[in-house]
Amino acid sequence: MTAVALSHLSKRFGNHLAVRDLNLEIESGEMVAFLGPSGCGKTTTLRMITGLIQPTSGDVLFDGESVVGIPTERRGAVMVFQKHLLFPTMNVAQNVGFGLKMAGVDKAETARRVTEMLELVELPDLESRKAHELSGGQQQRVALARALVVRPQVLLLDEPLANLDANLRITMRQLIRSIQHEMGITAIFVTHDQEEAVMLADRVALMFDGVVQQVGEPDTFYRRPSTTRVAQFFRNSNFLHGVRSGNVVSTPVGDIEVDPVQVADGSGDVILSVRPEEVKPVLAGSDAANTVPATVESVIYMGTHTQVVAKIGNSVWNVQTAAAFNPREGEEVLFELPKEHVWIVKDDSNSQPDAVKAS
Amino acid sequence: MARTTELTDLAERESLRSRLKIPLMLAPAVGIVVLLFGGGILVGLGQSLGYFPAIGLNEFTFEYYGSVLTDSNFLRSLWLTFRIAATATVLSSVLAVGFALVLRQKFAGSRLATFLFQIPLPVPHLVAASGIILLVTQSGLTARLAYALGIIDVPGDFPAMVFDEAGIAIILTFLWKEVPFVGLVVLAVLQSVGPQYEEQARTLGANGRQRFFNVLLPLIMPGIMSTSIIIFAFTFANYEIPLLLGTRFPSTLPVVAYRLYQDPDLALRPEAMAISIVLAIVALLLLIAYRRLARYAVR
Repeated sequence: MTAVALSHLSKRFGNHLAVRDLNLEIESGEMVAFLGPSGCGKTTTLRMITGLIQPTSGDVLFDGESVVGIPTERRGAVMVFQKHLLFPTMNVAQNVGFGLKMAGVDKAETARRVTEMLELVELPDLESRKAHELSGGQQQRVALARALVVRPQVLLLDEPLANLDANLRITMRQLIRSIQHEMGITAIFVTHDQEEAVMLADRVALMFDGVVQQVGEPDTFYRRPSTTRVAQFFRNSNFLHGVRSGNVVSTPVGDIEVDPVQVADGSGDVILSVRPEEVKPVLAGSDAANTVPATVESVIYMGTHTQVVAKIGNSVWNVQTAAAFNPREGEEVLFELPKEHVWIVKDDSNSQPDAVKAS
Repeated sequence: MARTTELTDLAERESLRSRLKIPLMLAPAVGIVVLLFGGGILVGLGQSLGYFPAIGLNEFTFEYYGSVLTDSNFLRSLWLTFRIAATATVLSSVLAVGFALVLRQKFAGSRLATFLFQIPLPVPHLVAASGIILLVTQSGLTARLAYALGIIDVPGDFPAMVFDEAGIAIILTFLWKEVPFVGLVVLAVLQSVGPQYEEQARTLGANGRQRFFNVLLPLIMPGIMSTSIIIFAFTFANYEIPLLLGTRFPSTLPVVAYRLYQDPDLALRPEAMAISIVLAIVALLLLIAYRRLARYAVR
């Protein structure tokens, strides 16, 4: 399989800088997700890897060799699009066998590999159907089979599940994950759905405004978001301003001890964050450390848990507590911010997408 | 019970009315078409079969068909007609696809180019024929230009394209008129399809030639098929262009038929009608065969 490297990759459309100085190394057999809101440059990046568009500057390397000069059809980077794009004039077998036919593979061999691949995507016996006779999930599975059958160097998936309904999406995720593992194929996919990225990818690259914000294993985005925007994208908007000295951050609602792992920026103004599911309600008079007073604004019972919106100092926090916790609106409660879950994030809430700025 | 029957009656009457509604509404239009068109065909068919009371012919006979079909000049004209129509159809389809592939790209002046491409559409065929005459006769613009540039010694050296047996000027006129017609249909299909299928094919390893023949052509084939059927039917039965630009002999069948029809000798009328009917039947058979073939080819 193939290792992919993106080196100082940039793409400009007119005045708009869609992708800015992107650097990322993807190991052979690894599955990486480009995650971000629409218009963040993730699809543009994918299209530069396929060669369907040329980078304005920077390089794309497969196994250390630049592929920028190689046309798409000879790169071996096969794309599965959001729309299944099955050729409407061909049946399922012809669609899946398309890449092999183009490569001049003989008919018997093609037929054998097509059957094998249709079994792998769990769609046997549909060879003679036309694309429009299949359901949405079947169409996308045929599209996947068509991409995999040519044994691509890199498999690129551009929101392949976005058009499917929720249940189907879950089974398709599992299917894609197991096939990717089984074949050991290097795969890069693009999604705006953080849950999907976390479920499928070995590593996630989160992009805003054409810039990669943070790269890492899925759990780092939950436990260690680099900035307030990253935290918010992963549904954490619990922030508290304070002044740090050593392991202690003084906030308007009291001193909070932080994990000494975070020796980052020394002292000064910082923003603390704790994920909604890590904030714990405690009884008054408890001897728990790192407690802060809060005023309950709303309580929503969600069945498996209770969603509490509370004001801590001047900030509004979301807290996900046990279903049994059921305070009244306006009630004063005490929350524990467990030391190991307190994380200091960089404030980038004011950073504007400066699309017009020249690099 | 009585009430139920009443209701069923009512429902039946209602459904009868709704079933009759559409045919009744269509009746006036259909009636006119049947009367004018069908009537004309019936009269023509009658005359071709020797039923022409106005000049005292009252007996049905296949004599005229016999004399038409055994005439070697008829076959020569039929071949000429077919050759011109088939050449014009094939060439205009091929050229139109080429133009459409270029015009779908975005380039400086692509909108102007598309506009210019469409100009022949509203121009009448007769005007187009006149233009072609001015352009390609031995005293025409091209010949004079070639002479001025020293490519030919005298204007008479310019190849005869008008009133020639190959029918070059006729075909050129048809092309000038029909290429934009096919081209616009193909362009519309290409634009609605977009670049996505080709991009998909590219990532699957298909080069330019493979993408055209395996992906694009099958997608635009239905459009080409239906427009080329129209063009073939039109050029096969066209009368004024071969009359203006063709040789005196052999002439295309529509021209032959019309000459016979216009002859002061009414006795030639049945033969003119026989040619027209044969022309119509041949065209119909060719179109059916073509449709079958094309459908098979697309699959």
